[in-house]
Amino acid sequence: MRRQVLNSYLYFFKTDNMNNLSAIGKIRKKNTAVIIILTAVVILLALLCLFVGSSRMSLTECFAALAKKGSAAKIRIIWNIRIPRLLAAVIAGAGLSLSGLIMQTSLNNSMASPSTLGVSNAAVFGANLSIIAFAGGFLSTGNNLTSYTVGANPYATSLMAFLFSTFSILLILGLCRLRSFQPGAVVLAGIAIGSVWTAATTVLQFYATDVGLSAAVIWTFGDLGRATYRTDLIMAVVVIIGTVFFTLMSWKYNALLSGDAAALSMGVNVDLLRFISMLLASVITAVCVSFLGIIGFVGIICPHVTKRLLGQDHRVTIPVSALSGSLLLLLADTLSRCLGNGSALPVGAVTSLLGAPFFLWIIFSREESHI
Amino acid sequence: MLDIKNLHFRYSRRSPMVLDGVDLELRPGEIGIVLGKNGSGKTTLFKTIIGIHKPESGTLKFDGTDLLKLNRRQRAEITAYVPQRIQFGAMTVYDTVLSGRISRFGLNPGKHDRFAVEQILDDMRLNDLASRNVEKLSGGEQQKVAIARALAQEPRVLIFDEPTGNLDLANEQLILSEARRLAAEKMISILISLHDLNQALALGDRFFFMKEGRIRYAGGPEMVTESVIREIFDADVRMIDADGSRIIVPVQNGAHGD
Repeated sequence: MRRQVLNSYLYFFKTDNMNNLSAIGKIRKKNTAVIIILTAVVILLALLCLFVGSSRMSLTECFAALAKKGSAAKIRIIWNIRIPRLLAAVIAGAGLSLSGLIMQTSLNNSMASPSTLGVSNAAVFGANLSIIAFAGGFLSTGNNLTSYTVGANPYATSLMAFLFSTFSILLILGLCRLRSFQPGAVVLAGIAIGSVWTAATTVLQFYATDVGLSAAVIWTFGDLGRATYRTDLIMAVVVIIGTVFFTLMSWKYNALLSGDAAALSMGVNVDLLRFISMLLASVITAVCVSFLGIIGFVGIICPHVTKRLLGQDHRVTIPVSALSGSLLLLLADTLSRCLGNGSALPVGAVTSLLGAPFFLWIIFSREESHI
Repeated sequence: MLDIKNLHFRYSRRSPMVLDGVDLELRPGEIGIVLGKNGSGKTTLFKTIIGIHKPESGTLKFDGTDLLKLNRRQRAEITAYVPQRIQFGAMTVYDTVLSGRISRFGLNPGKHDRFAVEQILDDMRLNDLASRNVEKLSGGEQQKVAIARALAQEPRVLIFDEPTGNLDLANEQLILSEARRLAAEKMISILISLHDLNQALALGDRFFFMKEGRIRYAGGPEMVTESVIREIFDADVRMIDADGSRIIVPVQNGAHGD
């Protein structure tokens, strides 16, 4: 299997008999270059993020702390706060963006994303229920409401958020099984069920105490500061499994772009592919949102910009969407820490503020995608 | 040979039969034209042959192999489909055609697959368009790409659902002559649904007239008569002999003196 994944990337480097098809070779080289450059930019930006923060550490102090030298506090800041945080940005950015891309392809709908399908709304309800009804597990290192969560299991809120979003997507997929996964039905069911979660959250918040309400609202803000090595590891495992599966299925997604009937006639088991893809994409979102809170719009912006600029071939859009998701979240997080004057602004708000103008510019400035 | 016997299909147990005992035979290299009014079951028949719909009863065989017992991939190596509404993603023509071979390569295409695609592009004279975005091509060019993609499956039966629906005259002729060439050169059985009766007469070897989920008449060109057309389409036509070939002309209501 590893070889298959490798092969799908090596495909870009293969030069076969293409005398009259040299333009295809050029497109492949361009796509390869984009992937390599994006990877380099993500790594560079991740390094840069390491040196930005409220503690005003100098560059030398940062390097020293990175090598586990210098004061214990500074080593702790770098190793226990900044590194888990930037890893979370890279992993969750890639995961959320990929989830959006796969949902859009699977449902043949450009508006499909974790938030439009109600996955995020269900997570919010689960977290609210945990915080408001059970006073449980508010997971934060940045915005810690210690008095409210003493004695609570720090994973309780995340677990509730995860359970509800998984339950929600299973409910939608189960309902849609009745109509053999017609993409339109999945999207509409997602919107309907999403609105039920939002309504239930409102009712819950109506009965909440002031402290409970503020804790619940702060949870929804989305904060990379909640990440720890353990949460990063859990997110990484899920995102890697998803990425490997999606990469292996690249050609099937390409076939799906031709519509259900054509894909079926080409031998693709469309219903099964759609079910597994939706489930996996939702689980990735559920895990990221459960640990970090709502980080909206990444799943819409990054795949769309990628498709606009490079076309829809999934051998390209899968790696590029993942990398651009990481990039957006890294940028948003760095900016949120620079602007927050001591405490970071909610990263979910910054992704939208940063991404939306760029998104609009891309939509209105180009008439056609450049393959 | 494609051999269909007593095929029944309906969308649910409560709904009426859409295919109500279809019988159809088509030999290699033959072009079969399916004719009938809208809603007579043509598209449903095609979708049942390629495996989108599962028939309730009846047999569906190709050269003695029961198509209903094959899995999707095996089936895609026998039947290919050019749908009525063609849809593409923003990919190059080359990769779009290559995606047609997915039933043969599974996860990643090999050298053999790319060689096959280059042959097909050459054959369909699509070489110059190979690196173009398929979404930006004209209707006729897209239709050719859809055919090329279907051919990449190396099928034995090729099914076209109203291929000339959105095309201008030149492209119509181009697509129909491609169908004729493919049947003759590659000995593929081709099943086409058409609305234009004159196009049908010019192209077909065998004709299948469908009404209410059944094939009412099947046979060669001699079977296409005024009375058959009147019965199937509930419309009046006249057949005119023009230099040895027959032309079908619609008659306006009341113009024939009833």
